[in-house]
Amino acid sequence: MHIVVLAKVVPDYEVPSVDFELVSNRAHPRYTRMIGLYDENAIEMGVQLKEKHAASLTIMSYGRKEDIQILRKSIAMGGEKLVLIQGTSDDPFVIADNLKTAIEQLGGVDLVLAGRQSADMDRGIVPGVLGEMLGSRFIPQVSAVENEDGAWKVSQVTETGLRELEFVGNGVLSITSVPENVPRIPAVRAIFAAKKKSVQTMSGRDGDESWMSEVSVEIPKMESTCEFLPVEDMNETAMTLLKRLKEERYL
Amino acid sequence: MKTVIIEIMDPNRLGELVTVSKKFCDTPDIIALGKGDLPGTFGKAFHTSETISANLVSDISELLKKEGYEIIIMSATTIGTGLAGPLAVRLSGSLISEVTGVLPDLVIERPLYGAKAVMQCKIEKKPLILTVRRKYFEKDMLEGTTETIELPGGPEKVILLAEKEEKQEGIPLEDADVIVTGGRGIGNAENFAMLQDVAAPLNGAVGASRGAVDEGWMPPTFQIGQTGKIVAPSVYFAVGVSGASQHLAGIANAKCVVAINKDEEANIFNRARFGIVMDYKKAVPALIDLLKKEV
Ligand SMILES: Cc1cc2nc3c(=O)[nH]c(=O)nc-3n(C[C@H](O)[C@H](O)[C@H](O)COP(=O)(O)OP(=O)(O)OC[C@H]3O[C@@H](n4cnc5c(N)ncnc54)[C@H](O)[C@@H]3O)c2cc1C
Ligand SMILES: Nc1ncnc2c1ncn2[C@@H]1O[C@H](COP(=O)(O)O)[C@@H](O)[C@H]1O
Repeated sequence: MHIVVLAKVVPDYEVPSVDFELVSNRAHPRYTRMIGLYDENAIEMGVQLKEKHAASLTIMSYGRKEDIQILRKSIAMGGEKLVLIQGTSDDPFVIADNLKTAIEQLGGVDLVLAGRQSADMDRGIVPGVLGEMLGSRFIPQVSAVENEDGAWKVSQVTETGLRELEFVGNGVLSITSVPENVPRIPAVRAIFAAKKKSVQTMSGRDGDESWMSEVSVEIPKMESTCEFLPVEDMNETAMTLLKRLKEERYL
Repeated sequence: MKTVIIEIMDPNRLGELVTVSKKFCDTPDIIALGKGDLPGTFGKAFHTSETISANLVSDISELLKKEGYEIIIMSATTIGTGLAGPLAVRLSGSLISEVTGVLPDLVIERPLYGAKAVMQCKIEKKPLILTVRRKYFEKDMLEGTTETIELPGGPEKVILLAEKEEKQEGIPLEDADVIVTGGRGIGNAENFAMLQDVAAPLNGAVGASRGAVDEGWMPPTFQIGQTGKIVAPSVYFAVGVSGASQHLAGIANAKCVVAINKDEEANIFNRARFGIVMDYKKAVPALIDLLKKEV
């Protein structure tokens, strides 16, 4: 069994809105870079599958060479091989096309796990586009994966609950977070070992991005002034709050 | 422009998508999914009871090609996300997800960086597939009903083994006028239950941040935020929630946010109308006592 996990390195997604700045329509380069949050859930799930089924586990990313250091965390978590396709496009079709080529070059990949959304573009498109390009089934918002007698059994989180689905053959799954796939914290020894790991890099291909043009990227204004209620006597605070909510017709 | 909606037969979801469709046409066509009667007036209406996206891609892409749709609208939900990417490839079309605004001349608005920024982009190629973020468009009232044409239905490639609905006590989150959300700051599952005593007297619902869901205190269906439920209550209590932008993206249309957090620097106070800087273990019981007396 060979599993590929897709991981994208993004600017710190925890920067609060008030400190957020753009340069040329993208996040300011000063922000720390890190692996996307849902991608880490996908890596954790990949590592668990590797441990259970003695599977091979390749981590794959399309992005910048400087980010290799960041991606090494995925090796420290339990990934075996790291593949970087070098490129700078933000276009989901170009990214998916590059990932497809690299996955086909690897050969024999049974399952591709991706994050539910990248933590910069927030769009959840790349896995579905890639799935179709590979001719694989695509299932979004997956929270658990098992392989039984060659069939994949997956749990999918929907708006109203949980679905248990089964399919045979290759799949691309986008992973959502649940307590079971909260990313592990790698051991110090594993972090050091990961630093020495060789990384396969290849150059990416440009693509046709003319289907859309960016008109603008702007930071919306958050217009809210917080009125801090006095907290000396909490019973009084509660009373003030309720009164104000009623006066201002929120309740 | 020739426009079609693809959606399950939920009046709220349909209503919002009909509003979006009116930016492109007078009366959209529809591919209605799942069980029930189709509310609203549409041009051509197709129907299938299938709701697993992977099983729908082939049939729907053939139909979309045959009918020559230029605009294809879905909600940014499990099924919309499942269909959008594969259909875009099959149709060699354009695709924008998580749409929050539609402007003239095919300019589409969507958030990025956890809604810390908003992008406007002009679409240069059709067909255009859009998945629309919930609660950003007023829902159309959906008058009348429309007869549907049954789609043939292909072989099932993905099999549904079981489906579990997450039971909600009281009013559903999406419809609640008052929501009480707990975050990682609540600390444990037992204390999380306390929030129900704030919500219940106000006829409200309890929600959770991703932090609280990751801890296992609430199921994922109760998560509020850009990858959870998008809600628009009148009052939103955020208790022990830091106010990450991705969480705030789910409450952009909440009218009044009340934040209870022991850290006065927490980002939630930048969105709140009223702030209580305090340990929730002191603040919430006092609120519960008062609600018991007053409401
Ligand atoms: C692509 C993407 C999508 C995401 N989607 C979502 C989403 O849909 N929804 C979502 O919620 N998050 C989402 N996140 C995650 C988000 O970035 C945050 O990690 C998450 O919201 C944090 O949850 P939290 O506020 O509960 O926890 P924390 O950030 O850990 O905050 C806990 C807060 O509790 C306070 N606190 C602690 N103890 C007490 C006490 N005794 N009394 C009062 N206050 C206390 C602390 O001061 C702190 O502010 C997403 C992230 C990414 C990258
Ligand atoms: N540049 C990339 N390199 C590797 N994986 C990616 C890249 N872009 C997107 N993905 C994967 O696809 C998921 C969804 O991305 P997106 O469609 O941009 O929201 C991410 O969480 C990743 O798992």
